[in-house]
Amino acid sequence: MASPAETVAFLREVRLFKDVAAPELSVLGASLRERALKRGQVLFREGDVGEEMFLVRQGSIVISKPVTGRVEQVLARIGPGDFFGEMALFDHSPRSATVQSDSESSLLVLDREGLRRLTEESPRAAAAFFQALVQVFIERLRASGDLVAEVTRWGLEATGLDLDAR
Amino acid sequence: MSETAATPSSPPPRRAQLELLVRRDDEGFDVRQIGSATAFVQSRPKRVADDSWELAEVASRVAGQRGFFLKNTTTDRFLLLTEPEKFLWEQMDGRTSLQEIATAYVLRYGAFDFDIIPALIRKLQRAHLLTLTPTSRLRQALARNRRIPVAKALEIGLTALERINISSRNVHRVFVWLYRFGGFLLFTRGAVVACILLGIAGLVAGAHLWREADTVVSGFGGHALKAVLSVKGLFFLTVAAHQIVHGLALVHYRRRVREFGFTFLHGFVPTFYVDVTDIFMASRKARVVTAVAGTLVHLVLGSLWFLLAAQAPLGSFTQAFAATSGMIQWQALVVALYPFCFIEMDGYHVLVDVLGVPTLKQEASSWVARLVTGRAPWRFGRQEQLWAGYVLLSTVSVAAFIAFNVWLIIHAVS
Repeated sequence: MASPAETVAFLREVRLFKDVAAPELSVLGASLRERALKRGQVLFREGDVGEEMFLVRQGSIVISKPVTGRVEQVLARIGPGDFFGEMALFDHSPRSATVQSDSESSLLVLDREGLRRLTEESPRAAAAFFQALVQVFIERLRASGDLVAEVTRWGLEATGLDLDAR
Repeated sequence: MSETAATPSSPPPRRAQLELLVRRDDEGFDVRQIGSATAFVQSRPKRVADDSWELAEVASRVAGQRGFFLKNTTTDRFLLLTEPEKFLWEQMDGRTSLQEIATAYVLRYGAFDFDIIPALIRKLQRAHLLTLTPTSRLRQALARNRRIPVAKALEIGLTALERINISSRNVHRVFVWLYRFGGFLLFTRGAVVACILLGIAGLVAGAHLWREADTVVSGFGGHALKAVLSVKGLFFLTVAAHQIVHGLALVHYRRRVREFGFTFLHGFVPTFYVDVTDIFMASRKARVVTAVAGTLVHLVLGSLWFLLAAQAPLGSFTQAFAATSGMIQWQALVVALYPFCFIEMDGYHVLVDVLGVPTLKQEASSWVARLVTGRAPWRFGRQEQLWAGYVLLSTVSVAAFIAFNVWLIIHAVS
């Protein structure tokens, strides 16, 4: 279990909170819960209900989407300082992918109530948080476009299909 | 297989890779990187159902060249195939991988055009005449029956064993060195004569020992089973020598040894292996010599063991051990050279090369399965006779081999 000071020190390194002042980070840190994952443990599956986002403090997280049977496509690998699960926090929809730990991992959990408190108690900090969040969203949107292109290229190469010649 | 032409200033494009997560039964998972090239060569193209296509030979415009019209009867689309393309089309049965098809092509035509398979696949896909199946039939069957504990255990075991592969792709220089410093002697007339003489001497010694088999095996005392197992272990090491000689044959014919290593064949047979695919580009004589040369290791070693056993005191442990080792080496020689045993060993490769039927085992097994289930007519043309002969001889041979070994072990133990 990390001390509040350690949690704040960690949050300072997180890109999402880079523009949030130290006192506000302390308030935010107080509303975060810790969650430990064993290697191979599934945190949640696609379709599960959820209203929390997670910050990776330690370890490695694999985000995947079921493809067929036991096979899933790896969408992303998340390491310390990065975050995931934020979509359910905002749109109230079921989880869009499955998340599991690739090693012993430690997470910090921010739920809807924690976010509401941050927004009400420190609008300026909340604005900085949302600004950083949008930037990460844009990057991920671009990355998912690249992934679609890579998967399509893989499919064409693996099946020998040549659309140029059509 | 078809690489884009590269210039010094533009390296070839990187092959796409997928990262896949595969769940295990113990709640864990594995993440695997699968390259598109790997998926391509392991895929098993499958023709559409037999009632969805027709093939007709067309009169050639150029003397000596045959052409074929392939028609998709569902879409009414036509393709014009050359004779080699028709051959490839016939291999695309959903059981044979592209890698195996390429090998079959080389055995049939003695050369390989790197573009022909991808180009044909593209043509067939455009005409909706093909599907691609990426996994092996055994693994598909095991996956389907995962609820059965034995199938589940087998699947887990095979997956684990399949990952064990200790190999090097940078071995050609080592083989060249071995060849230069003595290996070349194996490919001289003197070596052939020595082999024949040793074989005759071994045969005489073996026959002599066979007449006194009971006394010879009594040398094991009460540890017969343990001794037989240690003989088998020792034999396993000689498989490496067998593979090394295959590699030396490649060097002899100025071809390249691409890989040497240890793996579990089909996921469960521990073996050393050498990649001899480059010999496909050489003459038929070179292919036959390469196939046979490795097996002669067992002839030589078996004969030496028999000669040693013949010299050892009657009924001693040394004699029993040497005689058993000789017997196993000679069994290995027979198994490797004898083509009718459902295993694609050296003798099988020589046979299919000579017959010009590179997928004999697959075709014969498939035909018999269809015959037994009433899906193939009782018609016995030349091809069917070949298939029936292969399956019959192989079945009888495997049964005889198993019976002989059971008898041998029972005899040794009693």
